[in-house]
Amino acid sequence: MRTLRQLALPLALIVLWEILVALSGSPRAPRPSTTALKAVEMLADGTLLAALATSLGRVFGGFVLATLLAVPLGLAMGTLPVVERNLDPLVESFRPIAAIAILPLVILWIGTGNLAAVTIVAYAAFFPILINTIAGVKRIDRSLIRAARTMGISPLTRLRTVVLPAALPSILVGMRIGLGIAWTAIIAAELAVGAKAGTSGGIGQMMFVFYAYSIQLSGIVVCMAAVGLVAMLLDRGLRALLARAFPWSHP
Amino acid sequence: MMTVPNEPKIRLEHVGKMFDSFVALDDLSLDIRPGEFLAIVGPSGSGKTTVLNMLAGLDRQSSGTILLDGKPIAGPGPDRGVMFQDYALFPWQTVRGNVGFGLTHGPAGAGLDRAAREARVARVIDLVNLGGAEERYPHQLSGGMRQRVALGRLIANEPEVLLMDEPLAALDAQTRLVLQDEILRIWRQDQPAAERRTVVFITHGIDEAVYLADRVVVLGSRPGRLKAIVDVDLPRPRNEATRATAAFADLSRSIWELIRDEAIRATVE
Amino acid sequence: MARVGGLLVYLRTMAIFALAWYGLSLLVGSRLLLPSPLLVLDAVRQSALDGELLRNAGISLLRLVLAVAVAALTAIPLGIAMGLSRAWRDAFDLLVEMLRPVAGIAWIPLALFIFGIGSRLPIFIMFYSAFFPLVIGTAAGVRNVDARLLAASATMGVTGVTRIRHVVLPAALPAIMVSLRLAVAASWTAVVAAELVGAPSGLGYAIEYYRSMLATPTVMAFIAMIGVLGFLTDAGLRALEARLMPWAKDIRP
Repeated sequence: MRTLRQLALPLALIVLWEILVALSGSPRAPRPSTTALKAVEMLADGTLLAALATSLGRVFGGFVLATLLAVPLGLAMGTLPVVERNLDPLVESFRPIAAIAILPLVILWIGTGNLAAVTIVAYAAFFPILINTIAGVKRIDRSLIRAARTMGISPLTRLRTVVLPAALPSILVGMRIGLGIAWTAIIAAELAVGAKAGTSGGIGQMMFVFYAYSIQLSGIVVCMAAVGLVAMLLDRGLRALLARAFPWSHP
Repeated sequence: MMTVPNEPKIRLEHVGKMFDSFVALDDLSLDIRPGEFLAIVGPSGSGKTTVLNMLAGLDRQSSGTILLDGKPIAGPGPDRGVMFQDYALFPWQTVRGNVGFGLTHGPAGAGLDRAAREARVARVIDLVNLGGAEERYPHQLSGGMRQRVALGRLIANEPEVLLMDEPLAALDAQTRLVLQDEILRIWRQDQPAAERRTVVFITHGIDEAVYLADRVVVLGSRPGRLKAIVDVDLPRPRNEATRATAAFADLSRSIWELIRDEAIRATVE
Repeated sequence: MARVGGLLVYLRTMAIFALAWYGLSLLVGSRLLLPSPLLVLDAVRQSALDGELLRNAGISLLRLVLAVAVAALTAIPLGIAMGLSRAWRDAFDLLVEMLRPVAGIAWIPLALFIFGIGSRLPIFIMFYSAFFPLVIGTAAGVRNVDARLLAASATMGVTGVTRIRHVVLPAALPAIMVSLRLAVAASWTAVVAAELVGAPSGLGYAIEYYRSMLATPTVMAFIAMIGVLGFLTDAGLRALEARLMPWAKDIRP
């Protein structure tokens, strides 16, 4: 009964969508039935998975790069007030600039290939990870650090054995947010590049090509569903992975 | 109040409460007289708070009946004011806003114009000694002051029954003593019983119960059940001298005897 | 003292950054690839003088305000209903969970088909981007309202709409404000992408336009404008938060 209540609205909207488009008689407008057929077709010929693989590869590359840069920097800014004070103005100046806004510069400097895409993704994921790492380090219970000091543990060892594990839950939250933003950024970048020219590939460009050159737009909806599905799977997957790797934290 | 003398204000008949298969309270029968100050003591797990929540209408009993003025309790209502253990003050309201909340937004203020409401709030704030702190927010107050706000919010609505759940538990010993006297004053212990409101006061402090109450209900734990009802025949008004009397010490000791074993067990578990 | 010291540190950092940038631009030696900070400053001045900078910023900002306002007016009531009532939650949860992961930006091609190029496209994309953080944040905020406060108001006979207005809403306000800030941030990201692809005006359009004109200093001026406006809107929201919630001033983390 409850499941029925939960399904009612989405199902009603899908039926309504089908009817409205059928009535409008527009040949290009996508509808649920054509979308489902298109999805089967795109899955069968492998184009959808290939495009997703391209985008995902870029996201992972940029995400790993962002993590490798942001976590050490965040640890330094969180533990050393001098570093934080001096770098904070730069962080606060660049943080409000969305990754997509620097796309024109990236295209100018690096072009429209994979390296450019990885750069955009890394920029997008960098700030959430950095901010959450700093916050995580600063929230560490002072008595943990003091306890480690009384045991004569050196600062560097302390960073590895106390600060990093204690800040980890917050870092992982930053990584989850960062991964979500990275996925959005790559779609935006591929779309924008696809809109202007170039052959960048990826799911974002695929969407744009469907819009620009296709008489039938169901493919766009298939891509949108794929984007949503991947976003959800990325989030769940990362959460499960991190929960398994660091059982004491709750990402 | 409008009650016929000798009729209980509140009557509990074979009241029981289960949470899933856990018996929180088993077969409690009790009459609470109008104008009475009734204290309920017991170790943790004796269902004290459960009793209070059922009287407030926030929880429903699993068995038995609870009557207020002869009618079953259906839910929370402005005729029974509650002072919660951790006060439950509205953090976005000032002292004045919290004290006047029920008057401004609830039925307690119906029939009062703005000036009358403000006058009553001012009087209550005075009564609980919060003059000067009217515009402060709860987080800017000390524990004792928050407790006064909660007390003020309770009495500003002028409920017929005041239900208090360990209201002084979070305070330091000295503040607690001061506020005990204040609660007695607000309850009008120096007036004849007909002028007083009915109070049900949950506490784990035996001294506190004896000092404040006309009768002390002693609950046992696991499952919560009635162990004894102790009449406190200390003369009123009570004050510091009361605590020094032999009768006070005897009463406290006899209640402690009743719950000692379970209280000790409760700390070990 | 601390403020003056903080300002000095800020200026010092930015000065070092500008110097490094200047040095690098000399090294690169191409005003197309990396113009010096002076050239960018000059571009800022020029775009400010001919009104282009403020005009496009104003257009983007207006779209943002419109989109977020519509999102707030629809998402906050829906979030409250979903937070309070199981029936509403059951009815809308699946739909929200299906649509939420589809980034607003991913709607751009379909929205291009529906709306065409113009103001409606970025407004729709921004609305969509703002809607889900708001609905989810509000619903969670309402569900997490301290049960004791609801109980306390019930014992004072405060129920129904009065309770929503005077207990639920203020108690959920901190969560709603946090989600509003997230929503505005998401909208800002979306506007650049949406205008870049499908609008004849606005900051995103301007960036793309000047890029195609190879006017890198002006591109940088507009990018800086996005940063400044993003910072200012967030500061504005924080000020609004402080005003709406004076009681939370010292307890907000």
